[in-house]
Amino acid sequence: MIYQIANIILDSWPAFSFLRLVNYLTFRAIVAALTSAVFVFLFSRRFILYMHRRGFQDQQRETGLSTHDKSGTPTMGGVLIVGAVVFSMILWGNWRNPFLLLPMIAMLWHALMGFWDDYTKILKKSGNRGLSEKTKLALQSLFSAGFAWIMVGPLSPVGAEMAGRLYVPFIKVPVATLHPLIYAVFIFLFVIFVSNAVNITDGLDGLAITPSLFVMGVLGVFAYVQGNTIYSAYLFYPYLKGAGELTVFGAAFVGAGLGFLWYNAYPAQIFMGDTGSLAIGGTVAVMSVLLKQEFLFPILGGLFVAEALSSQIQDKIGVRWLGRRLFYRAPLHHNLQHRGIAETKVVIRLWIISGLLALVALATLKIR
Amino acid sequence: MIYWLISVGLILTATAVLGLWGARLWRRDLQGPRRVVLTGGGTGGHVNPALAIAEAIKNREPHTRFLYVGVAGKAEAVIVKRAGLPLRFVVSRGLPGFRPSLALLRFLFTWVVGTVQSLGILVRFRPHWIIATGGYVSAPIVTAGVVLKALRIGPLKIFLHEQNSVPGQMNLLLGRYAHRVFLTFPQTLAYFPKNGAVVGYPVRHSILEIPKEEARKRLPFTIPEGRKVVFIFGGSQGARTINRAVVEALAVLAEHRDRLFIIHGMGLAASEDYHAVQDTEALLKARYGEEGVASFQDFYYRQDYFHNIAEIYAVSDLVVCRSGAGSLNELARLGKPSLLIPKANLPGDHQVMNARAMKQARAAEVLFEDTVVEEGGLQDRIDGVVLAGKILELLADEAKLAEMTQKCRQFFRKQATARILSELYGDRRFDNGWTAHSLESLPPLLTNTQLLRRLQKAYDADPEHYDPERIAGIAEDLAYYRYRAAALLVHPAWSVRNLGVKLIGLTRYQEKTPTVLHMLLDRTPASRMERFFGGDYRQVGFIRRNAVTAVMVMNRLDASVEEALMGAMEDPYYEVRAQACRAVSHFGRHLAGKERWLKILLTKLEDRCFEVKVEAARALGEIGTDGRALEALLSLGEAFHWQVRNAALVGVRRLMERQVIWPCEDLLRRVGRFILTAPDFRPHFVIRENFNAVMHLCRHPGAARPAGESPENGAVLGKRA
Repeated sequence: MIYQIANIILDSWPAFSFLRLVNYLTFRAIVAALTSAVFVFLFSRRFILYMHRRGFQDQQRETGLSTHDKSGTPTMGGVLIVGAVVFSMILWGNWRNPFLLLPMIAMLWHALMGFWDDYTKILKKSGNRGLSEKTKLALQSLFSAGFAWIMVGPLSPVGAEMAGRLYVPFIKVPVATLHPLIYAVFIFLFVIFVSNAVNITDGLDGLAITPSLFVMGVLGVFAYVQGNTIYSAYLFYPYLKGAGELTVFGAAFVGAGLGFLWYNAYPAQIFMGDTGSLAIGGTVAVMSVLLKQEFLFPILGGLFVAEALSSQIQDKIGVRWLGRRLFYRAPLHHNLQHRGIAETKVVIRLWIISGLLALVALATLKIR
Repeated sequence: MIYWLISVGLILTATAVLGLWGARLWRRDLQGPRRVVLTGGGTGGHVNPALAIAEAIKNREPHTRFLYVGVAGKAEAVIVKRAGLPLRFVVSRGLPGFRPSLALLRFLFTWVVGTVQSLGILVRFRPHWIIATGGYVSAPIVTAGVVLKALRIGPLKIFLHEQNSVPGQMNLLLGRYAHRVFLTFPQTLAYFPKNGAVVGYPVRHSILEIPKEEARKRLPFTIPEGRKVVFIFGGSQGARTINRAVVEALAVLAEHRDRLFIIHGMGLAASEDYHAVQDTEALLKARYGEEGVASFQDFYYRQDYFHNIAEIYAVSDLVVCRSGAGSLNELARLGKPSLLIPKANLPGDHQVMNARAMKQARAAEVLFEDTVVEEGGLQDRIDGVVLAGKILELLADEAKLAEMTQKCRQFFRKQATARILSELYGDRRFDNGWTAHSLESLPPLLTNTQLLRRLQKAYDADPEHYDPERIAGIAEDLAYYRYRAAALLVHPAWSVRNLGVKLIGLTRYQEKTPTVLHMLLDRTPASRMERFFGGDYRQVGFIRRNAVTAVMVMNRLDASVEEALMGAMEDPYYEVRAQACRAVSHFGRHLAGKERWLKILLTKLEDRCFEVKVEAARALGEIGTDGRALEALLSLGEAFHWQVRNAALVGVRRLMERQVIWPCEDLLRRVGRFILTAPDFRPHFVIRENFNAVMHLCRHPGAARPAGESPENGAVLGKRA
């Protein structure tokens, strides 16, 4: 809103020339981050109290590691994150830009889905009886299919001819140009996988949020580079007109996430719930696709990938098919806990790993 | 676009006009003589009630027109034709279960085709009533009836009859759309609370009560005076298990030949799978020889099938048979004491449920089959000695027989056909509801998973005083659950076998221990594909682990179990090894001091999996009797995993508690060198502790505070000490 108003004022009254600041991405990114962080700080205490009073609390799981000292913690903290990002973007975003609209829609869609899931869990008073896996998958597919359809169609924000090109880290030129249909299927699977991966990672206090911030931050940098004619030419990236808006969006997310971590750090006073984890997953996936960095994700979000794969391999191949455990426990963080590492230590170690992976991902900017 | 809209509109209009026209025609036809569609079949048990009802309607309204709809090549094709009713065929198929599969698709397709066929039949015949007596045969015609009713085309009434105490799939699915569901057992009312009516089993050619003396005269063989007569049969087709058990039982029964007479109906089965007469004769000959069999003549009579079954019933004092609805109703009608051998794993376990209902009402005794692995396959079996013992025991107990006679008559709903007619014509001359019956309903049998959950919970809560019998409720039920669990052990899907192993353990089915041990050591490899992904044997890791667990739950150690545990120690799957070490701790008292166990546990301390090391260290504490165990445990002081170091300390503690070692300077010094840093700790929420203390006081007012939570304690008040 401020972005639009400032531009109108600038057009009419040159005296307010200092308002041209809003046209600088870096400025908007910083204030967006600050706005969303302040938003979270302002509302979280009241929010936590409200959730506690309404009984929106984490429900005990029937199986798995003991959560006996965790159940009863208010959940659905994702509402706070999403709310902060939306608020910040209403103030500082350029809504006409499809690079902003698509991740916004992705975030809201997944957040609503996660909300529904959390809500059913609370209604049924059981941690593993939320939405059925099928319903969840169907809703995710619905979004992913729509998104893939837009990405390969004439409305694609990256341009139809760019859509099928595949960029791989460490290589300057696109390695392949896929048929739009195949690329659509690829995006479809990618978005579903990533949103689920973050959901699975969200198992310990602060485990999902910090790596997501690293991912958001790095993607923001990539967006800044690719949305800028000079830098993209210098680093041999395809210029994506308007992609810079993702920097602002990513920054808003980082701000909100930091504010959330304040309360979510061990021992957590609030959980993000599926509302948060699915929303983050969906957003990250859409951002990677928009920036043509789908193949950067296995490096950048390596932690999420490892968590998702270990969980799937253990469950689908080991427990369901072979009738044995292939890892001690799955997903990854439970495996570490089972090996006798305390929750806090597991979380910090995984933060370190995801931080290092983010650095590697940043290095691909130049090393190509 | 407009083209398509118009065509759809035309089709809709045409359908509506046709429907309305059909409905008018149908209504007009209602004035004419009554028309009834009968359906149901697959087996005689479904057809005969339908014919009995038809007979009754015909007596009341002689001009009624009937049409029987069945499936070609099934029982109804023969029986209905002989009864002289017009017969039409549709296609139908049994429901293969609800899991998506090709069979389910085929079923759905057949169902749709059958329903369309039935729609045609119904529209042309325009019946007042559809009377369906169950079996998948009746599914299409009932579906078509429901469709016509829903479209308000046919003003027809649908009646279903359920013969068993557990409704079949078809009746369960379509029962809610029926005008009335006629039931044989009052318990079934729970499934049809709105439209159920307990009427009993309509018996067609009534089995009459013949005076005993007269029946004796009519028999083709003579029964000496003063003998107790036992009639054993396994239904019209015969039952393999019953026939075999009879052959075995004869050896025991022969000792009481002066006061017994056995009549044995072997059955008509003559398929490749089982030829009742040949098989039984061969077994008799093999066991007793020609002359042996001949010598039984004075107390044993056998025949393939008794057409004059009423006479046999009349002379017998005890009947041993299956617990199908037909046989039970005959028994109930005549008031015969019986020993029932239910056939298990039928849809809804209806024979078991029937038998259970009779047993609960003390109207019959029940004997369950056992499952054994024989000739590589699974065989149902009844021990002949057990059967003979049970027969002799029952015959000796006059009071019990008398009680059974009396109680069993109450089971028979008198005038079943009259009750059905009163429901059909709506004149309500009987009260067919719940209240008319004195029998209370039984709790339903648990499914395997429910049973597992319940037993597991009880075992976890108190392994010391665990008693499956108390948890299963009725003792007969536990016998049946054990039977069912044993049947799972040879299932092709490993997850089912796994469930079976768990249940065998938790029901403490000691007789199956050899089978479980066999599975534990079975080294049949898995498929190549599975091995590529990390599988090993056909009895997958979980099964082997749970086999060890089962042995622990059964809590009985003998030489064979010890051997098997020894084998499990070398299992390639780490969870099995760990569980085996746990089993050693569990049986520690019996294994303490045995050299081979000490040796193998010492090697397990070097295992590549830390879980095994942990369990081995604990087990050493339980069975160690000399310095070697202590030495091994103390050498773990610098192990990488803190759990291993921790387990070593636990082991040392146990050694001291068991007074194997005594505290001394050297021990103190060695233990003092343990690495005590660990990447794990237990969080300690002060507020939760106080909360729990308050809750404890609220729940147990006046009770002593749990130890270590006194409010004087600084930590609990939130101050740092």
